[in-house]
Formats: sequence, C-alpha cells, structure tokens
Amino acid sequence: MSDSRITRRRLLTTAAAGGAVSVFAGPWKHNRVWAQATDKPIRIGITSDASGQYANSGASDRRGMMMAIDEANERGGVLGRQIEYIHIDTETTPATGSRVAERMITREECGFLVGAVHSGVANAISQVAQKYGVVYLNTNSSSPTESGQNCHRVKFVWDGNGTNFAKAAVKNAIDTFGPKWMLLTNDYVWGHDTAKATKALLAEYGGEVSEEILIPQGTRDFSSALLRVQQQKPGVVSAAIGGDDQKAFRQQVAQLGMGNSPAWINSQQDWPDVYGLPLENLFGVFGTTWYYKLDLPGVAEFVKKYQERYPDTQMRVPGNVFYNGYMATRELLAAVERAGSANNIAVIKALEDHKMPAAERMQHHDAWIDANTHQVQQTIYLASANGKPSEDDDMFEIVANAAPDVVMDKGAAAACALESYEDTPSFDA
Amino acid sequence: MTYLLPHILNGLTLGLLFALIALGFTLIVGVMEVINLAHGSLFALGAYFALTVIGGGWFSGTEFGVWWHGLPIEHRYVLALILGPVLAAGAGMLLELCLRPTHGKAPLYGLLLTFGAALVIEEIIRLGWGTGEQNLEVPEVINGPVLIGGFIYSKYKFFAAGFSAASILCVWLFLERTPYGAIIKAGAHDSEMVRALGYDLSRLRLLVFGFGASLSGLAGIVMVPIWGLRPHVGIDVVIPAFLIIVIGGIGSFWGAVVAALMVGLAVGITGAYAGAWATMSMYILLILVIGLRSRGLFGRKSALEN
Repeated sequence: MSDSRITRRRLLTTAAAGGAVSVFAGPWKHNRVWAQATDKPIRIGITSDASGQYANSGASDRRGMMMAIDEANERGGVLGRQIEYIHIDTETTPATGSRVAERMITREECGFLVGAVHSGVANAISQVAQKYGVVYLNTNSSSPTESGQNCHRVKFVWDGNGTNFAKAAVKNAIDTFGPKWMLLTNDYVWGHDTAKATKALLAEYGGEVSEEILIPQGTRDFSSALLRVQQQKPGVVSAAIGGDDQKAFRQQVAQLGMGNSPAWINSQQDWPDVYGLPLENLFGVFGTTWYYKLDLPGVAEFVKKYQERYPDTQMRVPGNVFYNGYMATRELLAAVERAGSANNIAVIKALEDHKMPAAERMQHHDAWIDANTHQVQQTIYLASANGKPSEDDDMFEIVANAAPDVVMDKGAAAACALESYEDTPSFDA
Repeated sequence: MTYLLPHILNGLTLGLLFALIALGFTLIVGVMEVINLAHGSLFALGAYFALTVIGGGWFSGTEFGVWWHGLPIEHRYVLALILGPVLAAGAGMLLELCLRPTHGKAPLYGLLLTFGAALVIEEIIRLGWGTGEQNLEVPEVINGPVLIGGFIYSKYKFFAAGFSAASILCVWLFLERTPYGAIIKAGAHDSEMVRALGYDLSRLRLLVFGFGASLSGLAGIVMVPIWGLRPHVGIDVVIPAFLIIVIGGIGSFWGAVVAALMVGLAVGITGAYAGAWATMSMYILLILVIGLRSRGLFGRKSALEN
C-alpha cells in the first residue's frame, strides 16, 4: 500500500515553493523583466502571413521588416544590442494570429511584434499584445477600425486606412463621374469599414449608393456582380476587394471590357496584389502611400538597396507593402534608441506624437503618429495605370497627392479609447 | 425576367465549368472508391504545365525560347490544351501507384494519402513556378467582351463553357459507346466481377486515375484564365467539386453534370442578388438535397458506405 498522505511539513514546503514560483511566474502584469543583461538581443516577432489570401503581401511586408532589422544590426544594433527576429505564419486567419502572438510573447520571449495585412488578423494579434503590454506595429492592414474602435495602447497602425483613401478620392470622383455609385465590398472587416467610410463621404458630398454587393472572401467568379453593375449603370463603382480576390476580379473586369466604363475607384491598391498583371487589368483610380517612381530624394537609393538585398525576388522593385513594413520597423527601432530603453511604456511614449519629416519618409508631406489613435498620419497618393511606362515595373502613374490633415480620419479619433498606461502591463524587452 | 435572364445564362455557364471539374473527380471515386483530395492540385498542375508550354518555360530567353514565342499564341494554346492534360495524367498515374498499398483497405487511408499528395504537389508548384500570381495567356480570338442583347459578357467564358460541354459529351460517348467505357462502368459497378472476367484491374485503375487526372488538368487550363493561377488555386476547386459529387450522387456521371448546373445556377443568381450568400448557397443546396435523398440525386450504395 502506498503512502499517499501529505505530511504537514510537505504541505508547508510545497506551499512555500508555490508562492515563490508565483512571485516570478505568476500574473505578469507590471513585473515582467526579460532583459537581465544589456547585451541580450532584442527579440522581434514577425507576424506576417505566409499562406492564405495575403501570402504575397505578407512576404513583401516581411522583406521590408528584415531589411530594416539587418540595417540596424549592420550599424551595431540598437542600444548596443543585436536585433533577433522570429517569423511564424499567421495564415491570413485571425485565430492563427492570436495563437502566433501568444506563442511569440510567452514562449519565444519577443518584446515587440511587427506585421499584418489582414485587418482581422491584426485585431486578433493586438488583443493578445495588449494583454501582455507588448508593443505591436500593424504595418499594412487598413481597416479604419484598427485605429478606431479596435485601437490599443500597444498598437501602432502604419498604413493609410479606408477613410484616408476614400477622402482622397470620393469628392473628386463625384464631381467627375456623377453621384450614382455602386459598392462592391469584400465581406469582412476591412471591406465593411472601407465601404462605411465611402458611404459617409457620399452622404456628405451629395452622392448616392444605388446598390452594395457583398463579395465573400475567396470568391473566384465575379460575373454575377459585374452583370449587376451593367444593369444598374452607375457612374462610379467603388470596389473594396483585396488580396488574391482582387487579381481574379481585375482579370474578369478586363475580360468584359468594363475597365473604362463605369469609372472604378479602388480605395487602396497593394502592389503585390497587381504586380505583373497586364496594363488593361490596372483600370481605375486607387489610393496608395508610396510608389517607387516618386520624384523625391532618396527614392532611387532605396530602390537600389532593395534590389541589391533581394536580387532573386519576383517583384523587382519595392512596393507600398514593403515600404510600410520597412518604415514601421525602422521607426520602432529608432523609438527604442530615443527612449534609451527597451521598456515598453518608454517605447510607446517615444512613438506617440512622433514627427517624421517628409524627406526621411520619402513622401511629399511631413507625417506624424497620432497620439490619440496611434495611426500614422501621412501623404495619400492617388494613382492610375501608367499608359507610358518607362520600364516594365513602372505600372502606375501618380495623379495626385493629399496632405495628411486633409484626409485625416476624424471618425477613428472619436471611436478610439486607448487603454491607460496604468492598465498596460509594463516590462523591459 | 429580363433582369434575371443574364444571371441564369451566367449560372449555366458557371455550371458547365463546374461539371468539367467534377467529372474526373466522380470517375475516380466511382471506379477507385477513393475520394481524391489531390484532384484540385492536379487541376493546378495541368494549368501550370500549360503555362510552361505557352510561355516557353525554362527555355525563355534562349534562342529556342525566342523562336517559340514567335509562334502564334493560337498554336501554343492548342498545344497546351493537349500537353497539359497529358502531363497531369502522368502525375495522376504516379499518384495511383502510390495509392496501391491502400487498395481494399478503409477509404480513410486513400483519403489521407491523397490529402498528403495535395500538399506535396502544392509545394512542388511553389518550388517550380514560384508563389506569385501568374497569368495564363489565351488567344485574342476568344478573349474580350461580347455584346448579347443589352449586356456585355465574356467571350472567353462562352468559349470555356462550350469547351466544357463538348468535353463532357466526349467523355459520355467514350463511356457509353466504347468497350473501354463499358469496362470502366462495369469496374465501377462490380470490380471483382471485372477481374473474374480476365481484365487486369490494376491497369484499369491506373488508366482511370490517369483519365480523371487529365480531365482535372484540362479543367485547370480552361478555368484559370477566369480564376487566376496561384499555387493554392486547387484548394478553391476541391470544395465545389466535392459538393457537386455529393449532391449528384457519388460516382454518377449525370449526377455530377446536373448537380454542377444546379450549383452554378445557385451561385450565379445569389451572387447577383445576395452576394454575401453566393458561396453559402452551395452548402444550402447540399443540405436540401441530402436531406431529401441521402445518397444524392442519382446516387447508389457504394463501397464507401461499407
């Protein structure tokens, strides 16, 4: 017969040991310290998609982050510490995004998270990041909710959002093509929020929505929706369709010869989504935050650096997704330098309200990080297909640029309630 | 009704394309009693082979490649329509050889093995052709818009639907009017009896698998100019194909065709009037049909039920 009784001494010993463990490992709030030695590398978790709808954009996003990290390491690191990174595929799936973030923080000891294209994934990651207080840079997702109702103290949003792009395009398009609009909306958070922003602007400027068709993610055949467009005869179709869906969609619009009529407004166009498509597939006007042919100082050098670092990449020039991934990571590391510490709260404060001169960002207007929403307020460009390309990659023509204060998303500020510093767990990465 | 007519036409066109995808799937299930989850990957493989044939592949940039590109696109496209399915058939036959140890065992073994094969083929595609979106060029004569009544439709879609209808007819004639077709049908009905009559069942299975794979590859070449070509395009295909063969009845030729037309109509019409329900309409149709007829529209008891 085994002796399973617990003696008083064992009970007391176990209780004491348990108490000691809980002091170190218990709820981490306010007491997590990872950087025991100053030469310990800073670990960054890259949360970009490598599979699913946004796999191509995820790869471009990742290349941008890695170039910024490599540059920092070549300079000797940040605060004398090397930067390490780990990448786990978030699979364009919010549930996977949560799991990846949890693992990166609790098992891989990442002090910072960077990356996202899909807004649902970004939202999922940011909830986990906020729980642990880990600073998270949402590089490329652009639903207005990311810096609005889903904003968090730890999250910083680097791309322009649906409202910014819509503000840059809607009024001008109503004036040019008339008030009757039709919306084709990808049936998930980014699509809905972009459509919502467009509808609000249409109401403001006297436009009307004759019909909105919801397009499920993963749709391959758009002909039903396109036949509806023909029947409705709108002046403008505003399409919020992203990722691989966008490619199939463009292909089918071009096949029907509908690229020139009606007018197409695509609130945003990520470079990896259209790279390599024939010119007739690049119909319409769309928003972007950067183009490799911007006539600004530093752009040519940046392109050259990309080409030297990624000689075998199918995309031969950096696009807007790469640019955002690069800029976000570079600014994160610069904020650690400015803070003089890898303490998360200090880094958050170094990022909030940070001004970024136009020359440093290779854009036309100075940018800043809004302290109330944590979204980068930046130049928004309107582009269309380039009828006279100077080389194969020169697919777009920038037709206008809008200053950040003109396209600012005021709704985001009204909807965003950042957690207080006190409610955000503090630690040193 | 005038408003509905273009959507009915569009649904039927879509249905014919779905039928071409589902046909190879249902043939393999009928004869092999294997749910081939690699069917979509063979679809993608056929399209990628066609891409190589049309584009010149590894010879691009060489003297031969330049000469090849000088050939009219019509010639290269027709050659791709022949070679793509042949190469996909080769890949399918290779897969069948790998499946042999699972013959006579529970269907789950075949299911798992073909699932693994789908993953392997997708990775091979990534390594061979890259991860990016590719554009399968088609001849100008079948490209662009066509005006019918008051609406514009895709000329290519008409071509694809017509091609699918012709292919379906050829397959039906082959199965119904040739001795080989009779053996395949007999094999699907009672394979042991076919063996007892002296036919080599292993060879029959190999050929049926190759034939089914070639149909899948052919569907790939026809469909990707509409759907776009990327390594995981096969995943987009397997789900409707599977739904169609279940709705039509596993192993039934006409079941697959009728079910594909029904699915096409459901997706086409809901896509126009309730876009968010377009994909869901396939599942609702499945629930309705299975609720009324558990073996599908034309289904009979199969070995998968044992």
